[in-house]
Amino acid sequence: MPDQTATEEETVAAETGGSPPRLRTRMRRLLPVLGSLQGYIGLILVIVLGLATKGEVFWNQTNLTNAVGAFASRGILAVGVTLVILTGGIDLSVGSILGIGSMVSAMMLVHHNMTPWEIVPICMLVGAFFGLCNGVGTTWLRIQSFVMTLAMLSVVRGLDRQYSNNVSVGTQVVNDQGHLTPHSAQFQDLGTPGHNVLTGVLGQGVYYPVLALVVVCVVFQLILSKTRFGRHVYAVGGNATAARLSGVNVTAVTITVFVLSGLLAGFAGPIDAAYSASADPLAGTSYELDAIAAAVIGGTSLAGGRGTIVGTFVGALILTLLDNVLGLNAVSDNWQLVIKGLIVVAAVVLQRPGFFAAALTPVRRLIGSSPREGDEK
Amino acid sequence: MKSLIRPLVAVVAVVTLAAGCASKAPSASGGSGAGGKKQFVVGYSQSNNAEPYRAQLNLQLEYFMKQHPDMKLLPIADAHQSSATQVSQVQNFIQQKVDVLIVSPNEPAPLTAAVQQACQAKIPVIILDRSVNTDCYTSFIGGDNYEIGKLAGQEAVKQLPNGGNVVELRGIMSDQPQIDRDKGFRDAVKANPKIKIVADREAKWLKDSAVPIMQQWLSKYPKIDLVYGHNDPMTLGAYLAAKAQHRESQIKFIGIDGLAIPDGGIRAVQLGELTSTFVYPTCAKEAADTAYAIAHGQQVGKKQVLHTTQVTKENAAQLYKQYDMSGKISG
Repeated sequence: MPDQTATEEETVAAETGGSPPRLRTRMRRLLPVLGSLQGYIGLILVIVLGLATKGEVFWNQTNLTNAVGAFASRGILAVGVTLVILTGGIDLSVGSILGIGSMVSAMMLVHHNMTPWEIVPICMLVGAFFGLCNGVGTTWLRIQSFVMTLAMLSVVRGLDRQYSNNVSVGTQVVNDQGHLTPHSAQFQDLGTPGHNVLTGVLGQGVYYPVLALVVVCVVFQLILSKTRFGRHVYAVGGNATAARLSGVNVTAVTITVFVLSGLLAGFAGPIDAAYSASADPLAGTSYELDAIAAAVIGGTSLAGGRGTIVGTFVGALILTLLDNVLGLNAVSDNWQLVIKGLIVVAAVVLQRPGFFAAALTPVRRLIGSSPREGDEK
Repeated sequence: MKSLIRPLVAVVAVVTLAAGCASKAPSASGGSGAGGKKQFVVGYSQSNNAEPYRAQLNLQLEYFMKQHPDMKLLPIADAHQSSATQVSQVQNFIQQKVDVLIVSPNEPAPLTAAVQQACQAKIPVIILDRSVNTDCYTSFIGGDNYEIGKLAGQEAVKQLPNGGNVVELRGIMSDQPQIDRDKGFRDAVKANPKIKIVADREAKWLKDSAVPIMQQWLSKYPKIDLVYGHNDPMTLGAYLAAKAQHRESQIKFIGIDGLAIPDGGIRAVQLGELTSTFVYPTCAKEAADTAYAIAHGQQVGKKQVLHTTQVTKENAAQLYKQYDMSGKISG
């Protein structure tokens, strides 16, 4: 099946008939990469709500960094989950893989005194291994991805708990003089609140989890939109049979997205451990649901084949900023749950293709301007 | 060939799993041990192993049971926070005709019937920590969360003689310990009307959830004088958030649990991160002793309420040594 993005661009180009692209056309070309317009509207609404109710308290660097930082590890999970969803699958195991990644990182730091430069790659490998299991299960053993990753959620959590003996492990290792060991101090840079990286280069520096989230999003958006593998991901999700008949190795693509999802979950593990300065045997529980919610709010279709990483990033921002605004306004926890659920429903309804066109048609008729055929379809 | 490999992989996987399960199945169900001497079998159903407090309780119970040579503790059954699982585990122990049954109920109502079944089967039951809605048990052992909350509140009053702004991090709202720890604290801080609880939110007992909540409070309130967390991890999460903004020295931190693990509250008091915490007794030693007494036909108290110990900088080192379980248990 041909890439949807490509078709849309071609239609637009044909419509304008080769004349110099107008702003509208340019926007159209960018849109598929930037995700859905509705996502941005939602994000702006949340920001306006924050500014209107809390002003400066909401809109300052510390608060925004804190808000995005709190969601960064889940945002990274959401990128991996988006890849899997784009192929028409689902990955429920990412929360557990993050959990074992966080536990492995804390154990390596505390018991083996390793540096973050060694810890992070090892955690990524651990995550990739479980991702590979998911991929093998869904392809060769032909288990539906929902079932396979649900089983993996349980297996990995069990291993995590067995390995840790159900005891949380602190990452702030103190030597005899009461100072943090050098490696433990380095580990804090991975996400302990108040510890920024690149302080020399960028003034006050940046908060590593936020940086990591942005970099991961950019890299994977480029992979999806610029590489052959990216096109194959969309093709498999659009129609797996058609993709296979046109020469795409569906098995390889499916396994690869699961491995990447696991890899990213493993990568997020140390961030989560550093964030709370300890690895909890329950860390990451139900994070997969937040990750899926971010992807869905960002316009990714669970049917596969439609969605972008940028959209997921916007979805993650909406979720975490909304949480921040509601928290700053002291909205009760019970209502927060209700509101967040309703947002998911609203996002999905609003992002139906042609929703705006359908909503705008009566308005246009009223004004009397004739809508051009082919618009907003 | 390929068609052969798939089923083969599946079979190998299943066999490996089955072997793993089999090796962990309870090995003993009988009453009499080797050497002709009567050995008493104890079954313990834990509501959730994956809480540091309960993991510590499990370790301690195993340790204290070993102190009684004629008591044999079956592998601890973990209900994974599910009442339905726990009911079937209790019924399993009844089927195995254990001599003493210990239960840490996940929730009162669902476990009531199962405990009554054990009682009808003439199996003595010890209830740990949380209650059930029946009198048909032999002994209840637990801490008093209301009292602990109240002591935490009294400590807050002592720390803030001129009053101040208090924020409260709550456990899961529907959990009884959360309700009691909250109520006790609020009752105690009434003693000083200048102490105001300016905000409270559910952080679900988790450090991870407490950090962003505290960050929001720090943005919102220029003056926070004391953080009260319903357990140590949440309070330590708040400490972490405050430290990031260099405000930790203006704030007192009070927690509950006081576990003697490297990542626990006693260490945190020692390091000066927490102002104070309160040991929530695990009841393990009392449970082991009570089980021993029951098995040997001695009278035991129907309700044993254990008192808390306040952890301060002065007694932290000594308490850590007293409660530390690492090294005492081999294997």
